[in-house]
Amino acid sequence: MVNLSVNLEINLAGIRLRNPIVLASGILGVSMSLLKRVEQAGAGAVTTKTITLNPRQGYANPVFVDLEYGFLNAMGLPNPGVDYFVREFFEGCERLNIPLIVSIGGGSAEEFYEICARICKCPMDAVELNLSCPHAKGYGLEVGADPQHVYDIVRRVRKCFSNKPIFVKLSATVPSIVEVAEAALKAGASGFVAINTVRAIAIDIYAKKPILSNVYGGLSGPAIKPIAVRVVYELYENFKNVPIIGVGGVDSWETAVEFLLAGARAVGIGSAVVRRDLEIFNEILEGLKRYLEVEGYDRVSDIVGLAHEVV
Amino acid sequence: MYLYGTISDVVELTPSVRLYEIKLYERISASPGQFLMLWVPRIGEIPLSIANLEDRGLWLIIAKKGRVTTFIHENFDRGTRVFLRGPLGRGFSVKKEFRKCLLVAGGYGLAPLYFLARQLKDCGITCDALLGFKSVREMFFVDEFKGVCTNVYVSTDDGSYGFKGLVTDLLDTSVTLEAYDAVYTSGKELMMLEVVNRCSRRGIRVEASLERLIKCGVGICGLCSLDPLGLRVCKDGPIFTGEVLLKLRDFGRYWRDEHGRKKSIEER
Ligand SMILES: Cc1cc2nc3c(=O)[nH]c(=O)nc-3n(C[C@H](O)[C@H](O)[C@H](O)COP(=O)(O)OP(=O)(O)OC[C@H]3O[C@@H](n4cnc5c(N)ncnc54)[C@H](O)[C@@H]3O)c2cc1C
Ligand SMILES: Cc1cc2nc3c(=O)[nH]c(=O)nc-3n(C[C@H](O)[C@H](O)[C@H](O)COP(=O)(O)O)c2cc1C
Repeated sequence: MVNLSVNLEINLAGIRLRNPIVLASGILGVSMSLLKRVEQAGAGAVTTKTITLNPRQGYANPVFVDLEYGFLNAMGLPNPGVDYFVREFFEGCERLNIPLIVSIGGGSAEEFYEICARICKCPMDAVELNLSCPHAKGYGLEVGADPQHVYDIVRRVRKCFSNKPIFVKLSATVPSIVEVAEAALKAGASGFVAINTVRAIAIDIYAKKPILSNVYGGLSGPAIKPIAVRVVYELYENFKNVPIIGVGGVDSWETAVEFLLAGARAVGIGSAVVRRDLEIFNEILEGLKRYLEVEGYDRVSDIVGLAHEVV
Repeated sequence: MYLYGTISDVVELTPSVRLYEIKLYERISASPGQFLMLWVPRIGEIPLSIANLEDRGLWLIIAKKGRVTTFIHENFDRGTRVFLRGPLGRGFSVKKEFRKCLLVAGGYGLAPLYFLARQLKDCGITCDALLGFKSVREMFFVDEFKGVCTNVYVSTDDGSYGFKGLVTDLLDTSVTLEAYDAVYTSGKELMMLEVVNRCSRRGIRVEASLERLIKCGVGICGLCSLDPLGLRVCKDGPIFTGEVLLKLRDFGRYWRDEHGRKKSIEER
């Protein structure tokens, strides 16, 4: 019996989510109709594919490798550019009933600002800054590894989004995640999304060649889960009141709970969709409800960061 | 990571279409309509329908189109090792109670329907086929279809073989749609649109094999999705029922390019 009184709602930097399970960026988020399906599948919020100022065609195939213990991808941030995005997502008749987080990427503070200027009046709930994609030249991690750069970007974005949450998506592979996070907060960030994929390569031993056309890609899935849990734990330890969306290898209600205990207020779903498809959302929600009930909690927010308690 | 195989034979079906017979290293199971991603190291990776699968023997029919397919035609030979991902997607659905089916195909769209025809025959379901080509020079697999179908009708655009006209014209001249429990079609999208429209008007079950740019192939990147239902060709398809197709504004009209921008189907 599922206890109907268990409350899955959470507050994420001022936005109310019906539950803490969020679709991660780059997964299905290329059209409103796909996001609508994810909403119907049960998600608490959805994130778009990372949008850049100008259209990008992404890398040639192969862009995806299934490694069994994880996945490797180098899509190359394909997207139609911000102007097309605004037309397709906000000028059509489809609307979501759950919060929409728009992920954006740029090579400089100026580029981030220009994208923001074009989307800030759109019906969206939060912006996510991709400062962590590990395989797009001049983007993502290449601008997000330097705390000063991160500070400048977030400050510029804050100028456009005076009252909407700004989430900074972090990489696990920077010299000091705490320094980057601190710089982002000082500049006005509202929360973190951690983590993005981890730069990696796969070689086929019979072809004797790297598989991805871009050679370098980003590792996701179960292989990176302990790293992601560590980053979430570390962020919570240092910035207790800052909301975190924990992402990386979540593929069951158990892993989702682990992230919540580490300090994530919401949990992102990425490559788990490969094996479980959209049913993953409901599977996690059902398991989470049962867990809370069995363990005796009324609200999901009660277990956020619980692993940090001394006794 | 990959499903490996070695090419055991290459057959030149037409100047621009070849059949690659492959011996897989392991046994797999697949249903007609499903596809594989063929990886050509450091060249590219493309989706291809399974044209036949028997034990470890796999057939792929490859039409020369652009960069990767041209490389394959020029470099793949007996003994070449191939790297495959899949089977992916959902195949055709066939009901046990079906007695008689119709296949409508054009060009390399014959590939998944040949595999289907063989399976229908194995299940004791009879079928007829309408096959369309540009000209007799581009024609292939007619005898293979004759081996597994009761009646095979051929059309060519220029009349160099069989009926002169479109394969959809054969729907009027050669068969009575009402005689079939289901119609399966694969080929140019506008041809399939015509088939789906005609079948739906008469309440006949129809399924079609769709193509869009396939990137991840496993249903997470979203690039091959169809509006307004958000259905992914690589995961929810590539086979869709006529009922679903008629709800898709994109069917017969739009596809997304590498950037994710909608383009008219005619620009493909
Ligand atoms: C589910 C499915 C099954 C297919 N089955 C067959 C088959 O059995 N036999 C066959 O010959 N062809 C088949 N195709 C088409 C085949 O994948 C393309 O012809 C091939 O990808 C062209 O690659 P290229 O590098 O030679 O051409 P390019 O120079 O890259 O492009 C030429 C055209 O090919 C198409 N194309 C290119 N890349 C892709 C891609 N990643 N996904 C889909 N289309 C693409 C586009 O229309 C493009 O305009 C199938 C496609 C799909 C989606
Ligand atoms: C195919 C694919 C595309 C992705 N695209 C993006 C993107 O555009 N922007 C971004 O910030 N993260 C992107 N990511 C990273 C995911 O959002 C997520 O951080 C990562 O995959 C780890 O989560 P997972 O293990 O649940 O997949 C992508 C991941 C995958 C697998």
